[in-house]
Amino acid sequence: MSDATLAASRTPLAQRLKSPVLLLVPAVLFLAVIYLLPLIDLFRVSMSGPTWSTHFERVFSVPLYWESLIRTMQIAFTVACLCALLGYPTALLIHRTRGIAQILIATAVVLPYFIAILIRTYAWMVLLGRNGPINKLLQTLGLIDTPLALLFNRGSVLLGMTAVLLPLMVLSIYASVARLDTSLTRAALASGAGPLAVFWRVLLPLTLPGIGAGFLLVFVAGLGFFITPTLLGGPGDQMFAMHITQQADSITGEGFLQALAVVLLVITLVVVGIAGRIMGFEFIWGGGKLGDGKPRPVATAARVQAPRRGFGMVLADLLGWPLLRLMGLLSAGWGRWTVRIMGGAVIVALVVPIIVVMVISFSKASYLTFPPPAWSLRWYEKFFSDSNWMNAFRNSLLIALLSATISVSLGATAAMGIVRSNIRYKSALMLLLVSPMIVPPVVLGLSLYALFLKLGLVGTYLGLAAAHAIGGIPIVVVIVAASLQAVDQRLEQGAAVHGASPLTVFRTVTLPAIAPGLAAAVFFAFLHSFDELVLSLFLSSPRMKTLPLMLWADINYQLNPVLAVVSTLEVLLVVGGIILARPVLTRGKPA
Amino acid sequence: MLRLNRLTGAVSALALGTLLAGPALAQGEVVMQDPGGAYGDALREVMYDPFEKETGIDVVTVQEARSGPRIKAQVEAGKTEWDLTFIFDQETRLLGDCCLADIDYAKLSPEAQETLATMPDNLKRPKGVALQVIGVAMVYNTDTYADAQPKSWADFWDTEKFPGKRCMPAWPRFVMEAALMADGVPKDQIYPIDMDRALKKIAEIKPHVSKWWTTSAQAPQLLLDGEADMCMAYTGSSSVLALEGAPLEVEWNQGFVYYDFFSIPKGAPHYDNALKLLSWRLDARRAAELTSAYPVALPSPLVYEQADPEISKYWANNPENLAKAIEWSPDYWGAASGHGTTTNEEYGQEQLNALLAQ
Repeated sequence: MSDATLAASRTPLAQRLKSPVLLLVPAVLFLAVIYLLPLIDLFRVSMSGPTWSTHFERVFSVPLYWESLIRTMQIAFTVACLCALLGYPTALLIHRTRGIAQILIATAVVLPYFIAILIRTYAWMVLLGRNGPINKLLQTLGLIDTPLALLFNRGSVLLGMTAVLLPLMVLSIYASVARLDTSLTRAALASGAGPLAVFWRVLLPLTLPGIGAGFLLVFVAGLGFFITPTLLGGPGDQMFAMHITQQADSITGEGFLQALAVVLLVITLVVVGIAGRIMGFEFIWGGGKLGDGKPRPVATAARVQAPRRGFGMVLADLLGWPLLRLMGLLSAGWGRWTVRIMGGAVIVALVVPIIVVMVISFSKASYLTFPPPAWSLRWYEKFFSDSNWMNAFRNSLLIALLSATISVSLGATAAMGIVRSNIRYKSALMLLLVSPMIVPPVVLGLSLYALFLKLGLVGTYLGLAAAHAIGGIPIVVVIVAASLQAVDQRLEQGAAVHGASPLTVFRTVTLPAIAPGLAAAVFFAFLHSFDELVLSLFLSSPRMKTLPLMLWADINYQLNPVLAVVSTLEVLLVVGGIILARPVLTRGKPA
Repeated sequence: MLRLNRLTGAVSALALGTLLAGPALAQGEVVMQDPGGAYGDALREVMYDPFEKETGIDVVTVQEARSGPRIKAQVEAGKTEWDLTFIFDQETRLLGDCCLADIDYAKLSPEAQETLATMPDNLKRPKGVALQVIGVAMVYNTDTYADAQPKSWADFWDTEKFPGKRCMPAWPRFVMEAALMADGVPKDQIYPIDMDRALKKIAEIKPHVSKWWTTSAQAPQLLLDGEADMCMAYTGSSSVLALEGAPLEVEWNQGFVYYDFFSIPKGAPHYDNALKLLSWRLDARRAAELTSAYPVALPSPLVYEQADPEISKYWANNPENLAKAIEWSPDYWGAASGHGTTTNEEYGQEQLNALLAQ
């Protein structure tokens, strides 16, 4: 905007070149070529059968596939419900505690969010295993004689997926809880409402948008889940994304394979589309990767809340009151303790697996058993002396650096363009920029494979980095756009009025203000690529093993403590990154 | 803007640099598909390390269980990455014309020629040579079944006579054949497979199967962990453990024997190096040495004669074992199923998955 006013006196061409809209061009071009084009090609191949619908007919006529589709939706829905049920008290707990306790609880939720899904799933395999801590504890207590089969069933899939996706839900709900005007609850209490009534009539309706956003994000992520059900499920827990990878193993699968992916993609888009119409598409990025729980712009919040409130109230009156009267018989302490106990249980469930894995990494035993019979550093030695692991580590590091560079340079400029320009279809553009967040990675990987093969990008650093940047750009856009919106534009205008060039304005006013956001964006874009497995599964090559790929191969082959070492190092990396980023983050936080 | 341009310049320079450095197109290498695990370790130690030392050609191993679909995609896109791969026998027909190069047998070393001369023609085809003979059979825990041992698939299915947990591969091949034999079909009348009958029989054993495994290391691991007492398993990885003294025994009766064919994909980047490595692996002395590290053998009597009899008793091509086993039919599984474009294997997989998902 400042550019526009400043350039008003110059020639139209120069003015147009100065338009912030141009900042959007690189990112949009990048995504068009490497993201939209392959997806369109996917549709083309899926319709390449004798008639366009041949392959789709097979998807819906063979019970194996459509039953799996229904099962996938059931699992995703159940997980979303569980996450909402458990996530809400946790978010309240973060909100209600103060000081060091709050920081600790928040860290316990946020930290797992940034640890690779593969590693957290592996931690659950360790925890639930035959020689795992749970079985050992039950045996020590004399409750069971022989170890229970806790793995490879629907229960372990639901548990694992819920644990993996919970942080997403908690952060999403917390964002709306934190925005809450606490005087409202005080006013309600002062007016004579009991704690339960306050919860039902004030707290719940006002935080419903956060729950809705979290629910949808978890549901949509659950639809495309692949890693967790593969590792924790039995043959009866086949989810739809798993059929796609299985079918990729068949040499006559061409076309049908793409049709499976198209079905998954279309269902995801339909769910998101319906949700977007009801509550605004902002839920995708609003509740997304803003890990620090920064309150979103007020305008967004108001827009999301408006249509929901009336509905929530009606629901509360119809269902809530009879229930409420019954529960009102209990004393006020019950509510507080429910929140504490449920929230506490959630935090334990998020943190304990990680701690168990870290402990096991120091085990002397050659197989996974807990507690370790003796201690040693032998698995660390094995990791650091094994050239395969070290090569994979180097590859991952290089790819992640390159990918973060691509993501941040394209994403940050695009965020500038979005926030500082006044073009039409702004939301549509934002939607395009963040949409990779909701496309199931399996679908993306499959569509990219054909393109990468043609371009000779399979198994190259640049290829993998670019593929990872598809998911990195939305993260950067969301974080940087939020930081930019927090910058006081009057400062920029002031500098411009006093004769500073747009570049000087950017360098001296805008950049320092968004620096913390930019730093966070770099870190999260790096981490996104460093942890990425599913795209890499499709796009890697003989020479090109990344750390997650090595982990994946080893988990499928044999569970050994080297995996625990890698997991521990990853946790340390995340903790280190957050500690390093913390001064920057807190300094930059707008008061 | 200027700043951004400089930044973009730096980024593309970095990108270009990495792109060029990334896929180093070294001449002295050969890209070989690898089974991984203990077998992969044995190959590295006995075969590839000495090969690298003597020839100066680096052996790049790729762990991949099933290469067919990837080979097809690579060759069709004109971007072959692999030089030597093993192709499932049932896929060789589908892939042969489109994707596999002819092996120039004349260029193989004299030692390799000597070994090849002892192998039946069916195992040295224009587009593939059998480098390993694989067995799939019943493996059981000798502690659990100390008094009476299971001898057939009928025993495997008999959970009253032989109580205990089972494990089986999550594939239609082998499992359907075993189910039919358990149901009383004589072993010479198994093919073509009556899938409905096989599936009905599989449904009977399903409640007793603790795990439908997918990688070869899982079955012996499940047996050792006590998660299963009796499994259908690869004989190779199980017999390694039996040789080390684990309480496992392999029952060859009604087992399956087949061959892994090694092929050079069309457009392989290092065709000549692939031939050199093939020669190396076909050398009978080294092939025999390999079996003492991992008991999967090259199907040549020459290798059999040079091996330790303690080890070769576990080989799939040991005449005693061969006599008990059945000849598994890759042709049947690779043939068109009559349901869409699928092969029998793919159609059977779909049917089995549907049953297991119930």
